[in-house]
Amino acid sequence: MRPIHAVLAGAGALLLAGLSTAQAATEIEFWHAMSGALGERVDEVVKKFNDSQKEYVVKAIAKGTYDEVLNGTIAAYRAKRQPEIVQSNERSFLTMVNSGAIVPTAELMAEQGYKVDWSNFIKPVVSYYAINGKLQAMPFNSSTPILFYNRDHFKAAGFDKPGATWQELEPQLDAIKAKGVSKCAMVLPGDYEWSFLENYSAVNDIPYATRRNGLDGLDATFVFNKGKLVGQVERMKRLVSSGVMQIAGQGVIPVQLFTSGECSTIIASTAAHAAVVAAAKFDWSATELPYEQGVTPKNSVIGGAALWTLKGHTPEKYKAVAAFYNFLAQTDTQVWWHQATGYVPVTVAAYEAAKAQGYYDKSPTRAIAVVQLMRGTPSDNSLGFRIGNSNQINVAIMEEVSAAFLGRKPVQQALDDAVNRGNEALRRYEQLNAGKK
Amino acid sequence: MLARNSEGLALTANADARRLRWPLRRRADAPIRGGQAESGLKRAHFTGSWLPFWLLAPQLFILLLFFFIPSVRALLQAFQLTDPFGATTQWVGFQNFERLFRSGVYWSSVQVTLLFTLAQNILTLSVALVLAFATNHIARGRGAYRTILLLPYAIAPAIAGIMLAFLFNPRVGPVAQMLQGLGFDWDPNRNSGHALALIVMAASWKHICYNYIFLVAALLSVPRSILESAYLDGAGPIQRFLRICLPMISPTLFFLVVINFVYGLFETFAIVDATTRGGPAGSTSILVYKVYQDGFVTLDLGSSAAQSVVLMALALALTFAQFRFIERRVNYSV
Repeated sequence: MRPIHAVLAGAGALLLAGLSTAQAATEIEFWHAMSGALGERVDEVVKKFNDSQKEYVVKAIAKGTYDEVLNGTIAAYRAKRQPEIVQSNERSFLTMVNSGAIVPTAELMAEQGYKVDWSNFIKPVVSYYAINGKLQAMPFNSSTPILFYNRDHFKAAGFDKPGATWQELEPQLDAIKAKGVSKCAMVLPGDYEWSFLENYSAVNDIPYATRRNGLDGLDATFVFNKGKLVGQVERMKRLVSSGVMQIAGQGVIPVQLFTSGECSTIIASTAAHAAVVAAAKFDWSATELPYEQGVTPKNSVIGGAALWTLKGHTPEKYKAVAAFYNFLAQTDTQVWWHQATGYVPVTVAAYEAAKAQGYYDKSPTRAIAVVQLMRGTPSDNSLGFRIGNSNQINVAIMEEVSAAFLGRKPVQQALDDAVNRGNEALRRYEQLNAGKK
Repeated sequence: MLARNSEGLALTANADARRLRWPLRRRADAPIRGGQAESGLKRAHFTGSWLPFWLLAPQLFILLLFFFIPSVRALLQAFQLTDPFGATTQWVGFQNFERLFRSGVYWSSVQVTLLFTLAQNILTLSVALVLAFATNHIARGRGAYRTILLLPYAIAPAIAGIMLAFLFNPRVGPVAQMLQGLGFDWDPNRNSGHALALIVMAASWKHICYNYIFLVAALLSVPRSILESAYLDGAGPIQRFLRICLPMISPTLFFLVVINFVYGLFETFAIVDATTRGGPAGSTSILVYKVYQDGFVTLDLGSSAAQSVVLMALALALTFAQFRFIERRVNYSV
């Protein structure tokens, strides 16, 4: 009997040892939508976290575009095989919050005993992702649109730099085309609904939807078919139909037309820095978004994405998630992430640290987005957007606005139709989520 | 006169049969004892009641998994309003259908689909016909031509779409620049007609080979004797094609028209997604692409389900029409 006991004990010990090594490193999955250079940066930041401690291992998995990641997450959640962390873009905020599938970040961090100073976060970032001051998701890659320009083209056309207002910028763009400096003075970005409409309304302090753009409740309605926003779409239409502003079309990414030197300007996310630095073989620079003459510009609004924690996992896993978030919020991590990717740091401390390092003296265009986000006191029109069924509305608005570009309908009618289609989707969202935030 | 003729034919047939070796001769003899052969067939049924079920099971299982379950779910979802994650679901009756049929966007998608399938059908069939006609008249290297013409069928639709989108991109595409050089203001990003032409081209290019292979086979089976007698009567190649080949391959043409409609309606999603993404301003958003876009991009599951139910009904109607009218009137043995 004895030898058998010994064997059993040995086996038990081995088993225990096996279990304890398995427990030593809790593995969690992180699904994201970053590809190319940005995907490599995500792998790097995850590796930094994994190397910084021994208890947790984060596995970063690229799952395609934002839409594809969200679809994959929905399918996985319905099949009860969801990852712990998923990256989802800013406009999916309400979809995620009301999904019943997430653990709010503020709650998670408090439960796990992390004291996070949320007041240190950049205001438009917090106001976007928080409800009653409580962050629902962990801000990860936040951006905002800025204007990139080809300085060689501007010099050749006799200008120093782009004008600060649309009234100054427009004649410059026309001149670049007319003087034959470039056949394409500006390229229309793929996400113009965000950069040319939503951000335009924030910067120029115009309501886009009622109820503070939806922050105050699901009963908001769109009002972007009035006043200056109509003028903005008229302007875009004029630029497109005169050929000053070109549409990149399928098979080509708009920013490629800027970095190849073909188009003189692009209004793009500050995250385009990565592509511009890598590919632009000319003297380029960037500046803040143009605004309307006579307006004191407000802060712009964020884009990008945040990390959501999904329900249905063990406490062990959530410990790992919280540790990862805590690591991401560290000033060092933020400074590195900001410099490596072009996204804005999410805390004021990180911005100050980068400044103290003299980073913005070396790369002045990297500060533009942060300054633009922090400028002035956010108004009701520039705090952010909280729109239900946002994917449907996005597609509807783009469809209607581009119908105006094609000349299929007048701008006013296109915007009226966009507002109607948008409001219909908002009401449907309200119907389904009655009684929620 | 007629009777004697047929007797003569029968005699030669018998003479032929006598020359065959015995296993074949038995087969040749079989029709004579037709009644017996038929009863033999009838006798060859399964005795156990479970065997046929097990033989069918794998196929039924696949159908259940990939057709019946999704169809039932789509049917249910078409009457629901649901959160993408499935947290909240409400029964809303016909609200999704009402919304669909009220929406101008949907009807314009119907219009685009009609235009697209028709144009695609005509282009595919006529180009395939010309190519089949031409290869039939080539004496040397016929095999090589056929292989080259069949190659596009092996290319994934997404790749075909991206390639065409790139070639015809008004900013960087070589073909687009050639067109612009010729003074044609080509721009599928700003012109719905150009965008539609682009997806018609992409879809046809992929499907010409399929049509071609059927047409080549059909043309080969046109009896030479008839063509030769027409030749002796002084008919030129084009006249022979139009007057003799075309009527004789009409069953194949009918079949291809149906197949092309089905292809255009249901299988061109990948090409549209890669070439235009339904744009500009929804001008190439055909019905099947809209189902995808509303379901998987904009997460409007109710509407997407309602649309797929409509498409399902359309598919059933097409199948019914094919069996009821076309199959009955067309004789497949050329």
